[in-house]
Amino acid sequence: MIQVLEISKTFHDSKRGTHAAVDRVSFEVQAGEVFGLLGPNGAGKTTTLRLLATLLKPTSGTAVLNGCDVNTAPAQVRGQIGFLSGDMRLYARLTPLEILNFFGELNGMEPQWRAKRINQLMTLLGMHDFAGVRTDKLSTGMKQKTAIARTMLHDPPILILDEPSSGLDVPTARTIESAIMDAKKSGKCIIYSTHVMEEAEYLCDRIGVIDNGRLKTTGTMQQLREATGKHRLREIFLDLLGLPQDK
Amino acid sequence: MRFPIVQAIYKKEMLDLLRDRRTLISMMIVPLVVFPVLFRVATALTSRIEEQSETEARTLGIAARVTTPSLRAALEKTGYPLFEREDLPASVEKKSVAAAVEEIPGNPPRIRIYVDNSNPTSSAAGDKIRTAIDELRVERIRQSLQNSGVPENVLTPFTVTRTNVAGARKMAGSAWGNILGYVVLLLMFTGGMYPIIDMTAGEKERKTLEAFLASPATRREIVIGKTFAAMTAIFLTAMLTLGSMVYSLKNARLGGKSQEFKQMMDTIPLDAGTIAMIAALLIPVAIFAAALMFTIALFARSFKEGQSYLTPLVFVVIIPALMGGLPGFELTPALCLIPIFNASMMIHSVLVGDASMVNFGVTLAANLVYAGIAALIATRMFEKESVLFRT
Repeated sequence: MIQVLEISKTFHDSKRGTHAAVDRVSFEVQAGEVFGLLGPNGAGKTTTLRLLATLLKPTSGTAVLNGCDVNTAPAQVRGQIGFLSGDMRLYARLTPLEILNFFGELNGMEPQWRAKRINQLMTLLGMHDFAGVRTDKLSTGMKQKTAIARTMLHDPPILILDEPSSGLDVPTARTIESAIMDAKKSGKCIIYSTHVMEEAEYLCDRIGVIDNGRLKTTGTMQQLREATGKHRLREIFLDLLGLPQDK
Repeated sequence: MRFPIVQAIYKKEMLDLLRDRRTLISMMIVPLVVFPVLFRVATALTSRIEEQSETEARTLGIAARVTTPSLRAALEKTGYPLFEREDLPASVEKKSVAAAVEEIPGNPPRIRIYVDNSNPTSSAAGDKIRTAIDELRVERIRQSLQNSGVPENVLTPFTVTRTNVAGARKMAGSAWGNILGYVVLLLMFTGGMYPIIDMTAGEKERKTLEAFLASPATRREIVIGKTFAAMTAIFLTAMLTLGSMVYSLKNARLGGKSQEFKQMMDTIPLDAGTIAMIAALLIPVAIFAAALMFTIALFARSFKEGQSYLTPLVFVVIIPALMGGLPGFELTPALCLIPIFNASMMIHSVLVGDASMVNFGVTLAANLVYAGIAALIATRMFEKESVLFRT
């Protein structure tokens, strides 16, 4: 479903000079699989996900998402994905219902299907009570539910989620995790980036660790355990980054 | 380009803009409320100052040091009470009287009027005294001529008449054209500034742009949808300003000298044809302004930064907009190529009623080309990662 082939992104700026934020990264993700992309801050996770979402153009290499190439068919790629970044916000002056309708229209959803799908997601995420309230009046959890609903609205085959549960309370995070698990069961291909190791361990089928723009390793929890000799993901993560273990 | 996508973006932007307090203030409140209120206050204040000056002058009176009875009688005719004062200039300066008159004996005697021109009361009293004395002088000359047996018409060997061939419509059009184009064009830029910053730098600052960019809408569709929404805001501001100005001037309570001005303004030539021509002129200007401001505001990372980028543009617009309304320029096809200036001048010509269709066509075509170029640049900029993700 997703094939990332030697993708690189180099930035040039006056302060840092030229630096490779993503350096020849390759991996594959299948349908019905959750792939966790882990790494410390500034490792290149967000840039990789932005490249897959076609927000940025690769300096070299490419990625093919459900048959669409990010270099040659970016608009088609965007039709195949639901992209959510922890940094994304909602239109403060619109209500969740208006936001969902707007993104439904952008995704070319027919009005009837759109209304049905919005209702489905609102029920799944418990959004009916605040569907008509302006977003600037909503709590963080309500906003994040709206953002998740927006990402899943057009029922895309691929979900790219960058820290979707960041800053959420446990009940809201659990609702979102359940929605992700449901999406996985229905055959969606999911790339999931997080700093919460327990969450990655619980949700992801395979994990890739990225550092300094390079993908250090990929594998299932079992493969990572065997490769590092560590048991918990947190220990594996620290080991792969060459950082001292917790005392 | 897919029309339903552009339409969805346009609808969303308009909804978002109409719920933004800053946009509503610049787009609607300023033309619909602030402008008429300011105008009403200014005209009421002018009339009141005129009335107050007259009342105050009647209360204060004038200091008169005159010996000729006819001169005293002429001064009494002004209706101002006459007083004696030692130091005439000082009494005027200290406002113990509105003005003063001194007759200096000699052959002929000289009459000196003391006024404080920084004080409207004193200035008004001075004008009235001058008129009374002039009338007395004419009367005295007439009597002298009669006494000498010289016919009165010796004073007027010929008469001069200045005839204004411009009709009332043309005069009103000229007066309106001097200010209307300037105000409308200026308010189009200031009115469009907030919505455009909001939908560019504002989106970046609020971090709502990424979700938009990750949708299947192409960058071009986003730019077109947003530019049309901005253009609507700008055009709406222009038409509201136009309507508000016409209403304010037609309903102004002007008194005294301003009555003449009001009567002329009442003949404003804003018929359906004129309005249609002005609206047709303003549409490409609105697209041009929207795309230009959109491109500039895209470079900003925050609303504040956007304001500091766009404010100088408003100052750049002032000069051609003001010059276009000034009388004395003959609009040629070459001048019709200067953006902003051409629209301002063409509005003047349309209101005066002497707009040539060639110049109108050249202005319209030139502004459409500028609008197209600006929209193209806006799209190019919107495709640049370095502009969109500038940190």
